[in-house]
Amino acid sequence: MNSPQIEIQLIAVVVAIACAIPGVFLVLRKMALISDAISHSILPGIVIGFFITQDLNSPLLILLAAITGVITVVLVEWIQKTGLVKEDTAIGLVFPALFSIGVILIAKNANDVHLDVDAVLLGELAFAPFDRLLLFGNDVGPKSLWVMGTILISTIVLLLLFFKELKVSTFDSGLSAALGISPVIMHYGLMSVSSVTVVGAFDAVGAILVVALMIAPAATAYLLTSDLKKMLWLAITFGSIAALGGYWVAHWLDASISGSISTVLGVIFLFVYLFAPRKGLISVLYRQKQQRTEVSLITFLLHLNNHSEERERHINHLQEHINWQKIRSKTVLDLALKNNMVTVTNNVVSLTKKGDEFTNLALEYIITNKDEKIEHMKDDFFLFRG
Amino acid sequence: MEQKIAIKVDDLTVAYNYKPVLWDIDLMVPEGVLMAIVGPNGAGKSTLIKAILGIIKPIAGSVTIYDKPYNKQRKLVAYVPQKGSVDWDFPTTAVDVVMMGTYGKLGWIKRPGQKEKKAALEALEKVGMLAFKNRQISQLSGGQQQRVFLARALVQNAAIYFMDEPFQGVDATTEIAIINILKELRKAGKTVVVVHHDLQTVPEYFDWVTFLNVKKIATGPVKEIFNDDNLTKTYGINYKVAVNK
Ligand SMILES: Nc1ncnc2c1ncn2[C@@H]1O[C@H](COP(=O)(O)OP(=O)(O)OP(=O)(O)O)[C@@H](O)[C@H]1O
Ligand SMILES: [Mg+2]
Repeated sequence: MNSPQIEIQLIAVVVAIACAIPGVFLVLRKMALISDAISHSILPGIVIGFFITQDLNSPLLILLAAITGVITVVLVEWIQKTGLVKEDTAIGLVFPALFSIGVILIAKNANDVHLDVDAVLLGELAFAPFDRLLLFGNDVGPKSLWVMGTILISTIVLLLLFFKELKVSTFDSGLSAALGISPVIMHYGLMSVSSVTVVGAFDAVGAILVVALMIAPAATAYLLTSDLKKMLWLAITFGSIAALGGYWVAHWLDASISGSISTVLGVIFLFVYLFAPRKGLISVLYRQKQQRTEVSLITFLLHLNNHSEERERHINHLQEHINWQKIRSKTVLDLALKNNMVTVTNNVVSLTKKGDEFTNLALEYIITNKDEKIEHMKDDFFLFRG
Repeated sequence: MEQKIAIKVDDLTVAYNYKPVLWDIDLMVPEGVLMAIVGPNGAGKSTLIKAILGIIKPIAGSVTIYDKPYNKQRKLVAYVPQKGSVDWDFPTTAVDVVMMGTYGKLGWIKRPGQKEKKAALEALEKVGMLAFKNRQISQLSGGQQQRVFLARALVQNAAIYFMDEPFQGVDATTEIAIINILKELRKAGKTVVVVHHDLQTVPEYFDWVTFLNVKKIATGPVKEIFNDDNLTKTYGINYKVAVNK
């Protein structure tokens, strides 16, 4: 690997992590759409900033654009508050308006400005290493690495300081307000960080990838964990993997880096969506099937429990009586045998002591719906979970 | 001895989008009562609590908690929001939710430590939920979620408790468990304000009641004012409950 290659990957990973952190909270607050809105509506801020500074990486430009991002949020909320339209409609009204102002500003001044809409929307990571930061005449690295590095470090510091506040205001804004942890301040804090991140990243990776990097890793992590801290770590990991993986996919296919990173993000999400242990599609389907079997098992055990006469407990009779197909009765019988709940002698099925206890507990649970007593059974049986 | 006033509400008017949903509410809640707020859906019960707690800014009027504005008295107050107001799919555990009750006393930036964790576990024990401490909250039943919310209020160790429909969707056992805890709080001299929908149980559970429907209809001791007349005024239909036994 040569040094621009390493630099590109470094920038990609830094951008990915800087996006993943606010992304987790946006996803949990069901505000994924707002990141899209911000990423487009900051355009006028960028253009005006560019007119003033003539430099896409200037701190002033980032500040101006970030303010436009926060204005977007304020406008959306203000329109929503009138009670005339819903939030998604309000977003749909605000961001095209601001975006088109940006486009018009560019078009009007196209002759003397080096800035076009494509560059803003798509970005090109491959060019990022060419824009160097010079400090006292020394080349200290790509500018966008410094910009995004600063944003990432600030984001991490804010996250560490305000983790508890972010958590409670996201989960329960009413309690948060009552406790004196203003959800309004947290909301605008998060919006400001998101805006700054989007603005800082758009030059390197483009607005569309920024949105993907904010939402996809968080949405993927959400499927895998029920712990906020783990969700943050997972989102960061997925973002980084996609950044590196996307870079190499682009390298081998000679394709756009941003496009490849987006694709890898999508592939990771799809994979997790299918195979996640608890919330994944396959696991959900498997659990439903398993639950059906367990309901059958309990029906079967209850029948045994209710009938002491041998005639009723003969294997052939069970098949007729409970009226199951052969395969199903065999599955259920095997399951019961495997768990030492029944014994079979001369084709007559009897409950074991364990089977008897289990049946009584299950019966009690079905009647009272009390959870405490069956806690230990939850590991073995899906039926009793959730 | 003159009884202290725990909560005082003066001429409170609250509006959403300039449409008032609470008109000119006056209310005085003495210390140490267990008070029900009753009224039909949309009467503004939740809004009244939110306005008292400063979650919504009123367009007129004032609220004091022990003679001072709410933001000076936060630490004296615990709050259980209506259960449906939060996302139970949020990635967190029962004990973690209870610990949020300690955030107010911790203040900004400071993190909860062992002391807060211990308090949270004790509160979970009190509501009979210790076995579920590490359970993800979406994996709890409705009644269990309600108990977790109650534990979170207990951990705030406050003087005044506001609870928005703590009996919503709980079975009889849980309801009794909750009301016993509320009565214990009252015994300890705390003031408890509960939004309540089951009119039959008001005389049995509470000693103080406020009738609310956009305006305040009546407030006072259950024995004196919980009658068909006030119920009819509040619910707008001819309401009969067997209260005068
Ligand atoms: N965020 C909001 N924006 C606009 N209107 C609201 C909002 N919250 C509540 N309202 C309106 O204010 C009125 C009072 O609502 P509130 O939630 O206080 O009623 P409630 O008495 O608690 O009802 P419930 O018994 O259904 O909980 C209702 O008409 C409701 O539609
Ligand atoms: Mg309510």
